[in-house]
Amino acid sequence: MTLKGAMGSIMTVDLSANTIETETISSKVYESFLSGMGLAAHILYHRIPVGADPLGPENILGFVSGLLTGTGSLFTGRWMVTGLSPLTGGWGEANCGGSFSPAIKRCGVDGIFFKGISPHPVYLYVDDKCAQLKDARDLWGADAVEAEDKLKKMHPGAKVACIGQAGEKVSLISGVSTDRGRMAARSGLGAVMGVKQLKAVVLAGKKRIPVHNREEVKQLSQICNKWVQFQPPFVPGWLTAPIGALMRILPFVATQDGLLYKILLRKWGTVSMNQMSVEMGDAPIKNWMGTSSDWGIFKSFSSNPDAIIKTETQKFHCYSCPLGCGGICKTNGRFSETHKPEYETVLSFGGFVMNKDLDSIFYLNELLNRAGMDTISAGHVVAFAFECYQEGIITLKDTAGQPLEWGDPKAIEFLVEKMVDREGIGDLLADGVKKAAEHFGKKAQEIAIHCGGQEPAMHDSRNDPGFALHYSVDPAPGRHTNGAGLYYEMYQLWKKVKTVPKMGPGYFKSSKYKKNIHHAKVGKANSEYLNVMNGAGACLFGGFLGANRIRIFDWINAATGWQLSPENYMEIGTNIQTLKQAFNVKHGIAPKSNIVPDRLLGIPAQTKGANKGRSVDVETMMKDYWELYGWDRDSGIPSEEAVNRVASIA
Amino acid sequence: MAYTISKECIGCRLCAKICPTNAITGEKKELHHIEAQACIECGACGRICPSAAVTDNFGLILERIPKKQWPRPQFDLDTCISCGICIESCPTQALDQELQKVKNRHPLPLLTDASRCISCGFCAQDCPVDAIELVTEQIETIKETQKAD
Repeated sequence: MTLKGAMGSIMTVDLSANTIETETISSKVYESFLSGMGLAAHILYHRIPVGADPLGPENILGFVSGLLTGTGSLFTGRWMVTGLSPLTGGWGEANCGGSFSPAIKRCGVDGIFFKGISPHPVYLYVDDKCAQLKDARDLWGADAVEAEDKLKKMHPGAKVACIGQAGEKVSLISGVSTDRGRMAARSGLGAVMGVKQLKAVVLAGKKRIPVHNREEVKQLSQICNKWVQFQPPFVPGWLTAPIGALMRILPFVATQDGLLYKILLRKWGTVSMNQMSVEMGDAPIKNWMGTSSDWGIFKSFSSNPDAIIKTETQKFHCYSCPLGCGGICKTNGRFSETHKPEYETVLSFGGFVMNKDLDSIFYLNELLNRAGMDTISAGHVVAFAFECYQEGIITLKDTAGQPLEWGDPKAIEFLVEKMVDREGIGDLLADGVKKAAEHFGKKAQEIAIHCGGQEPAMHDSRNDPGFALHYSVDPAPGRHTNGAGLYYEMYQLWKKVKTVPKMGPGYFKSSKYKKNIHHAKVGKANSEYLNVMNGAGACLFGGFLGANRIRIFDWINAATGWQLSPENYMEIGTNIQTLKQAFNVKHGIAPKSNIVPDRLLGIPAQTKGANKGRSVDVETMMKDYWELYGWDRDSGIPSEEAVNRVASIA
Repeated sequence: MAYTISKECIGCRLCAKICPTNAITGEKKELHHIEAQACIECGACGRICPSAAVTDNFGLILERIPKKQWPRPQFDLDTCISCGICIESCPTQALDQELQKVKNRHPLPLLTDASRCISCGFCAQDCPVDAIELVTEQIETIKETQKAD
């Protein structure tokens, strides 16, 4: 049967040899790993040799689209960039929306993979008739927005993914930008693109994406859309903080229905959580040392959702998204507009560094988007530098006389600008917290917050221990997108999948901290479902609607013509997770080494605030999780048999 | 699958000029050829062919339609969900999106350049909420209607 949904082939580009080839991928590979991240895991596992330097020619950088992208399904416009991460040394992935994902498939392929290093800056241009590397020397030095604008002028109608100055300067916390500042930010893969001297990928193909049953896909889309359009009037922005406070005080919680979060996203976007997260204990404060009581309602009020939405001139929808959580905002100062900062950015440069100045957050958002630098990691680096200054590890001598006081927007902007330019202390900080701590010595390493090199996100594992598990066990560690207890509640997977744990209508908060195999079962289901979503190119926020409302399994069947059960798809999720874990082991990463620092586990427990007295036993959860996969309980290393089962698929 | 050109072809080059993927090759006054891999089955070649030389996947000859009568997309903006699928489906970049309704900050699609539209219908076919209808109107009328909305 002809493959549907996917394009059935990939493009491989050798930047050293200036050769471009297209190769067919067997349908067995798609049936075992889907497309997107799963396809990338299959390609990279086999093709990046042991001992490869993440910044060397042997590393392979892949841009992949999802299996459902372009089939008429909703929330399925994500594209992913993958490779050996220079930040962690292991599996690297970053995920982004915008309109780049269908552009990959419209060039007739599901992924484009780059190896080698070009002798001079180039960009890849692909249309229906040709694929060629073009000279990018004139673009080198341009920020991501300037470069995209120039390339779109040269190639009208084309879609562009590119790096800014951070990637060019091989900052290990740089990412890849598209749609004028939407970022595939994590894992430091912008540095891989930079070292390969690949400025941009420019796609102008017009191919149709084959679909097995377009009408059925459409019917499923209409079921999903019905829920998205359900938008009752909601509370004003200032009330989100008291709601968060109420959630903090109550000893029990109702199992969350993602429909509520959808309503928040539709109205404000992710910034809806700015104050609520602080109050409920989800947002880390002051480099994970502070508490909700250090960043109370009045301090966080400057970034309340209404303050942000006031600047929004229009909503931004990624491809195939009926929700539109993004936005374009007008700003004061050097830049006239910016993509609406995400919750992660507002918190990274807000409560996390004790900064109340919203204008500076907008400025930093646009500066970093243009430079192509990860705002989560950059915020962590700034907080790390502030704490080092407080402890006397960094002195005025290191900062050319600039004091680094918590909450000082001038000091934050000083550090970030230096990092973007790799000047002075910025050169040391531009490679992330781990590298910087190695430079400043043992005392600095004790306060360096990272998971195997990756800075974690703005979600506190002391509030939701599921974050501690996923920050630690995922092959790309430190990601808030990998899973959490809350995510599992919103996925409502038990309504579609028979083999996963069921959730009741509510539970006592204390149950989250008690030893129970349930936590690992939930974690495993989270990982598997996310792998399916990433293979399909689905958006996490779509997934939060609940499996009965966003019918990803049914969509894949309708788009491909397969007749797989939800349980079969969860097994595919296992295949992908095993392959990514084996990738890390192959490249010398001990799974245990990615464990979160004690500060994130409440060791010692905080004495005030939302997470007072809470400690998380992540080691037990990790062991249980690995055991459920059938891997070694203590080391997390998959058995040879488990690896062979997925590695032999071709 | 792809469309094909029969011996009826007079080599006028109209199809080659309109093909959005440059899939058609051939010298003037000679038989033209559609490259199967590049063909996206939009049918523009058949609609414009003066000698009824283009056949579809089922072997049916595509009927020539005067360009003024080509149906073009009209958008039901109350049903539209701003997902942008139509814009990305369009092989000629004839569609774009902008704010069109008072108090609605979600950008909505419009036909920015009706002369680029080749009437392929991909936008309507792919629209997940069936908010697009292809209608035959004069190009000027379409522009005016959209502005008025």
